[in-house]
Amino acid sequence: MNREDYEVIVGLEVHAELCTETKIFCSCKNAFGAEVNTLCCPVCMGMPGTLPMLNKQVVDYAIKMGHALNCKINRVTKTDRKNYFYPDLPKAYQISQFDIPLCENGSIDILMDGQVRRIGITRIHIEEDAGKLIRDDSFDGTLADYNRCGVPLIEIVSEPDLRSAEEAKMYMEAITNILLYLGISDAKMQEGSVRADVNVSVRPRGQTKFGTRTEMKNVNSFGAVYRAIQYEANRQIEVLENGGVIEQETRRWDDAKGVNFVLRTKEDAQDYRYFPEPDLLAFEVSEAHVQELKDSIPELPVAKTLRYVKDYKLQPVDAELLASNRARSEFFDSCVKLGKCDTKLICNWMIGDIAKILNERRIEIDDTALTKENLTEMITLIEKGTISNTAAKTVLDCIIEKDVAPQEVVKEKGLAQISDSSALEAIVQEVLANNPKAIADYKSGKTNVVGFLVGQCMKASKGQGNPAILREMMLKAIDTL
Amino acid sequence: MELYKKSAAELSKLLRSKEVSACEILDDTLARIEAVEPQVDAFLSVTAQTAREKAKAVDAKIAGGEAIGALAGIPVGIKDNICTKGIATTCASKMLENFVPPYNATVMDKLEAADAVIPGKLNMDEFAMGGSCENSHFKPTKNPWDTSRVPGGSSGGSAASVAACEVPLSLGSDTGGSVRCPAGLCGVVGLKPTYGAVSRFGLVAFASSLDQIGPFGRTVDDVAMLFGAICGKDSAHDATSRDYQFPGMTEGVKGLRIGIPKEYFGSGISEEVKTSVLKAVEELRMLGAEVVEISLPSTDYALSAYYILSSAEASSNLARYDGVKYGYSGNRKGSLNELYLTTRSEGFGAEVKRRIMLGTYVLSSGYYDAYYKRAKMVQRMIGAEFEQAFQKCDVIATPTTPSTAFKLGEKMNDPVEMYASDVCTVTVNIAGLPGISVPCGFGEGNLPIGLQLIGPKFSEAKLLGVAKTYETAKGGFAVKEL
Amino acid sequence: MEIDVRRVAKLAMLEIPEDEVEKYEKELSRIVAMTEHLPEVENAKTLIDTENKMQLREDVVEPSYPRDAMLKNVPQAIAGCIVVPKTVE
Repeated sequence: MNREDYEVIVGLEVHAELCTETKIFCSCKNAFGAEVNTLCCPVCMGMPGTLPMLNKQVVDYAIKMGHALNCKINRVTKTDRKNYFYPDLPKAYQISQFDIPLCENGSIDILMDGQVRRIGITRIHIEEDAGKLIRDDSFDGTLADYNRCGVPLIEIVSEPDLRSAEEAKMYMEAITNILLYLGISDAKMQEGSVRADVNVSVRPRGQTKFGTRTEMKNVNSFGAVYRAIQYEANRQIEVLENGGVIEQETRRWDDAKGVNFVLRTKEDAQDYRYFPEPDLLAFEVSEAHVQELKDSIPELPVAKTLRYVKDYKLQPVDAELLASNRARSEFFDSCVKLGKCDTKLICNWMIGDIAKILNERRIEIDDTALTKENLTEMITLIEKGTISNTAAKTVLDCIIEKDVAPQEVVKEKGLAQISDSSALEAIVQEVLANNPKAIADYKSGKTNVVGFLVGQCMKASKGQGNPAILREMMLKAIDTL
Repeated sequence: MELYKKSAAELSKLLRSKEVSACEILDDTLARIEAVEPQVDAFLSVTAQTAREKAKAVDAKIAGGEAIGALAGIPVGIKDNICTKGIATTCASKMLENFVPPYNATVMDKLEAADAVIPGKLNMDEFAMGGSCENSHFKPTKNPWDTSRVPGGSSGGSAASVAACEVPLSLGSDTGGSVRCPAGLCGVVGLKPTYGAVSRFGLVAFASSLDQIGPFGRTVDDVAMLFGAICGKDSAHDATSRDYQFPGMTEGVKGLRIGIPKEYFGSGISEEVKTSVLKAVEELRMLGAEVVEISLPSTDYALSAYYILSSAEASSNLARYDGVKYGYSGNRKGSLNELYLTTRSEGFGAEVKRRIMLGTYVLSSGYYDAYYKRAKMVQRMIGAEFEQAFQKCDVIATPTTPSTAFKLGEKMNDPVEMYASDVCTVTVNIAGLPGISVPCGFGEGNLPIGLQLIGPKFSEAKLLGVAKTYETAKGGFAVKEL
Repeated sequence: MEIDVRRVAKLAMLEIPEDEVEKYEKELSRIVAMTEHLPEVENAKTLIDTENKMQLREDVVEPSYPRDAMLKNVPQAIAGCIVVPKTVE
């Protein structure tokens, strides 16, 4: 059989660090990048006699994610211990949730080529992160930094509903976008604040029974998720094609080398000896609070994208781009609500010049002075022909720095567009006089040279000439030559 | 003045009337410790210097007319599984021989606030696992009533130090009887509070869902005084602690219904123990109490359930001792696995390893339902039976231990028999109830016998009140001359 | 009751000398035998104590401990880190 004759089945376990103020079980600051072992206390270092105190915010954040992923919320739940020895785990057990996760039975819609795909969410539970092990070839040992011990995590487990590396990547992106939308995680894959365990199996198309799956732990970028799945699916297909069988095992993905290798076979599978965490009691979240958290969930990226396409006729690509950032899309929504100018133009400015400025400066829309009134007024001025697009960029630079009326900027900087042909005539004549070659080209049939000539006129008018009128005048003038 | 013989209440009075100073009390305590330690071996460390600093501070407060805490100047010995900032906390284990916590247990902060003076840390069975204090890595403690015998365990040092008048008060911990059993065997009063009444923060965990810190004293008043100082919710550090304030003891036993569960007077209990306990109950009846027979049928399952639950939790709680972060570190030259294996195999004693093995086994894949889940069911049944019983009676009276103190070494080779000495006490931990052991006479060889009183959750005031009534009627409890 | 002492020891990260395996087998079997008359679990539902629920902690930062204090008990530390034998995973 060919590769195309196999179906790839993927399930992801995404671990996301939550951006709470404090760790999950102690009051140490939850922060990335501090000097080693300076965000530690006896609790997160697992010292004898210390006890965990569950952070309320962690529960709230996890429930928010549960709502965003349409989960059932288990209002009465508990924590459990997962026991294993490793030097990044000071207590030699991780406090997690076993049989009663905070959230379960949900789903997420992702967009694949503009089509909605619904992916099942098995569960979301809370747990603590482990420390960081630093390995260096120059040193015969491993160094442990426990700053990350006790950083709160949610683990989001998907159903095996993903059917390609591409889909898995899209799913990861969708999850990450939601985390950012909800403001519950920094979702920085490069800092390891979002990581995925990837389960992959393959089966001949048409077969309903799943194949044996393998797991790759801690894959930590969208690209790596894609590559790891591609590699593993190909490997499994090759094994099957050669008459082999897939072993249920844990493999390690080496993204630099682009290969994976066996970490643990089924026989050495860990026996985690889960049991209820006796240092913490069961806890309950009130119905009212669960509802309160639900009400705080904003419109999510996919719903937004679909609405933009349907209601505003935006291009799906543009709509998705705009919707992927909560602050920007909400700013866009507020501009649209004013009803003063063309929605598509707002979108173009948002995902064009404004996005460029924000991305360059690594700031968000709320960090600027830009108001919905000023932006829409600026666009209105373009629509009315008062200013050109070029001049608008100058206006944007000003209104992004300071809350000042675009009209004022136009007046102050003399940016108003000149549409009066008598005022432009001299410029047209001057450009014609300076560009004999272009005229010759035009006469020999290269009529698109007009664009160049109009551009020269715009330049000469310091961007203030009305390009449409200049074009008209130019054509007339050149024809009479 | 033989201050060491005095109760905490008496010392407190003398201090407040300025007849003695805190430093004088401490001097007398240290002298007494020095005098009798060779016979008793209750202390693992004597912290004379820090104790003196505190005693001086208390004296300065008194001299300056400042208010002083409820336990001002009173020496309180501390079981060595309770974390003391800057002072070694060993759990009587090679594993933690050199461990010096950078933090205090909540009870230590409370004792500090109450102006208590801490003369040292007390011996115990390693990690509080054992019923004789012989599982200490360092030395066995002896029973002051007969130094060829065990003081009971695991808080053997806490009980023996009080019985030998080295300190008027001490703290121990009780997971399956570790306060009450040694109190019973050493002829002192020991209280195991309701689960959650005293913060566990800083108590080195054995079995988190069963562990409670409890006070020892030679009088009921003293025990009540210490309990009052350490109880209460620890909202910053212990999620299992409960909102509770000790309201002071109730008075008298008139109309009090005392339940006698027949399951606690079976064939495993020695005749002299049964006789003494029933005699004490009869004395309470004479004082106005009513005696009712009750039944707690699931008691038969309690010991198994206890060893499953406590060992399961212990296997997890003690997994952190891996030679990486603190404590004994084995072979550091080999692989990670070698470090783990050597650390744990060399650092833990035989009994601790046995419990870790048992706990690991009952939690392991395929056995969890058969053991852990069933034990949890039994826990519920036992809790429900107690609740029903407390419809019929106010307190329950039983023996504390099946027999008087046994000889050192007598049960060391038979763990199962050793486990059976907890048979009367484990149900109280399983159900999260308070229990107190009060001296109720002597058996053969002048060895103390303990009466255990059990009450509903947060009935410490009543338990102590009943104990106090009995104590008063007896004219106080006997103290061994050493 | 057959107890695989070696497997349990591996999980518990304990070294049991070969000549003690049998002793452990016997001892553990005796302890486990005590449990054999426990009643069967009828209701396999998760046990959750619903009457006694826990209060959660507010998300407010408190200072961490000085690193020196945290590393005082560490058997071996280098450059503020805790040293462990080389790991691969």
